[in-house]
Amino acid sequence: MKLLTHNLLSSHVRGVGPRGFPLRLQATEVRINPVEFNPDFVARMIPKVEWAALLEAADTLHLVEVPKGPIEGYEHDEKFLRQMHHVLLEVDVLEGTLQCPESGRLFPISRGIPNMLLSDEETET
Amino acid sequence: MLKKLKSAERLFLLIKKQFPLNVSSESKGKIFNEMQRLVNDDPESWLSAISIWKNLLELDAKKDKHSRRDANPLKRKVGENDITNPKKLKTEQMQELQESRECQLEKQMEAETVEHGGFLTSGEKPPEAFQNDVVKAAGTPDRKDLTFRVSCRCSGTLAKTFTAQEVGRVIGIALMKQYGWKADLRNPNLEIFIHLNDIYSVVGIPVFRVPLASRAYIKTAGLRSTIAWAMASLAEIKAGAFVLDPMCGLGTILLEAAKEWPDVYYVGADVSDSQLLGACDNLKAAGLQDRIELLKVSVIELPLPSESVDIIISDIPFGKKFKLGKDIKNILQEMERVLHVGGTIVLLLSKDHHKRLQDCEQSGIPLNSKGSHTDEPGIEKCLNPGEKTDLSDTVSSSSEAISQGGLDKMPPFGSLVPMECYQVSLGRTDAFIYKYRKSHSLGL
Repeated sequence: MKLLTHNLLSSHVRGVGPRGFPLRLQATEVRINPVEFNPDFVARMIPKVEWAALLEAADTLHLVEVPKGPIEGYEHDEKFLRQMHHVLLEVDVLEGTLQCPESGRLFPISRGIPNMLLSDEETET
Repeated sequence: MLKKLKSAERLFLLIKKQFPLNVSSESKGKIFNEMQRLVNDDPESWLSAISIWKNLLELDAKKDKHSRRDANPLKRKVGENDITNPKKLKTEQMQELQESRECQLEKQMEAETVEHGGFLTSGEKPPEAFQNDVVKAAGTPDRKDLTFRVSCRCSGTLAKTFTAQEVGRVIGIALMKQYGWKADLRNPNLEIFIHLNDIYSVVGIPVFRVPLASRAYIKTAGLRSTIAWAMASLAEIKAGAFVLDPMCGLGTILLEAAKEWPDVYYVGADVSDSQLLGACDNLKAAGLQDRIELLKVSVIELPLPSESVDIIISDIPFGKKFKLGKDIKNILQEMERVLHVGGTIVLLLSKDHHKRLQDCEQSGIPLNSKGSHTDEPGIEKCLNPGEKTDLSDTVSSSSEAISQGGLDKMPPFGSLVPMECYQVSLGRTDAFIYKYRKSHSLGL
């Protein structure tokens, strides 16, 4: 699971609503994957990023060189884009958990795939 | 490069196309003669087609270092009644061999477009080399020892009098006499396809041994790849979009989309471990594991914030095994929730789902003026995009225009406004491709 994906996931445990974001990340196995750098693609993802969530996750994974926020003219700033590319796309959490910040419910990540299935009682109406 | 035709099932070099053989009053013998004439008349067209075919093969062999063609050529016997490309995409017009390769290689840039049904498309990107070859071809005598096989399909009135075997045999013998080729049923160099029915008689040579629908980059296909590609192309995928397939199965749709539109963020989800494993395998085999993310989630409970997804494309599974079939409304509701306003949804629905949606009373919201519910009697099928020849244009211009006609059967679903609907054939069954756009926020 990449951090770009983590940035979008939110808990849907009953009653939690928007307080189910962001999910707290815990990783037991992480892999760094080189991914082809596509500056256009990264630039387009930047406006969608929830920065607080990203920084929190990056911190848990002890990543360095993580930009704190979008900078002026980021679309053309290669260094910035490369850093974001690395953080968003090259860090892959293979094993770990995601925790709902409100209910505490844990969702496991296994083989890089987060399992967010809820049992019937837990789902929202 | 012909392999770039993504919505076409098979591609043939046309040798002949003419009016149907007249079966009604003549004796069998006479009709056999007519069939022989298909072979013997006009050897020019045969020879030039064969030349082109040879050229294509050479070109292909040069370009393709790893020849994909030896991956299991389909076994076909002479006279099989069913040509083994069972899953044709049906359209109202029989566009099949019409424009496909009339031995003139036109440079239309409609390469990927199909009339959504494109059994055979009208466009391609031929290399320049060919332009001149056609002219020369007719003169070159090609009498190397070619082995061949005839595959024949008959339907309509003709089929009542003849079996495909008989026809195949007649044609085969005529060819042997005319060109001196040898017949080889198992592994011929050249395959001749004949299709005779009440509308036309067509003879052609398949360009590839394996149907175009079988892709080199997909290890295990779920949904037919031609339909997957067609759905993806309807979805108006643009660079930087977030595309979700919440019931991705083996990931076929995402694979087709990611191959064609690379600068996009793709996420696939499924509830089944085995499907996700299969999808993972497929992604790795295609080299796309970095561009497509997988999640184990349920489509009726998507762990995504509202209005966070740009495009949803999905093949909604049907059949008795799939228990969510009845929950089509819940599925659509959840998809509606996570979709951005202005986003598109493209779904493949069974007839059952289609029916349930029609009965659906979700719409409290009136359609905008262009898409009013007209009760036009007699419009059975959904709109067929026969008129649109260029997909890439249709996509951008259809934002407000709702196609008339077939949509009278497609009610809106909450804020999801139906845009287009196509009936497609999946072989034994038919299905519908629906496209919706979210017209306004749900205000949750």
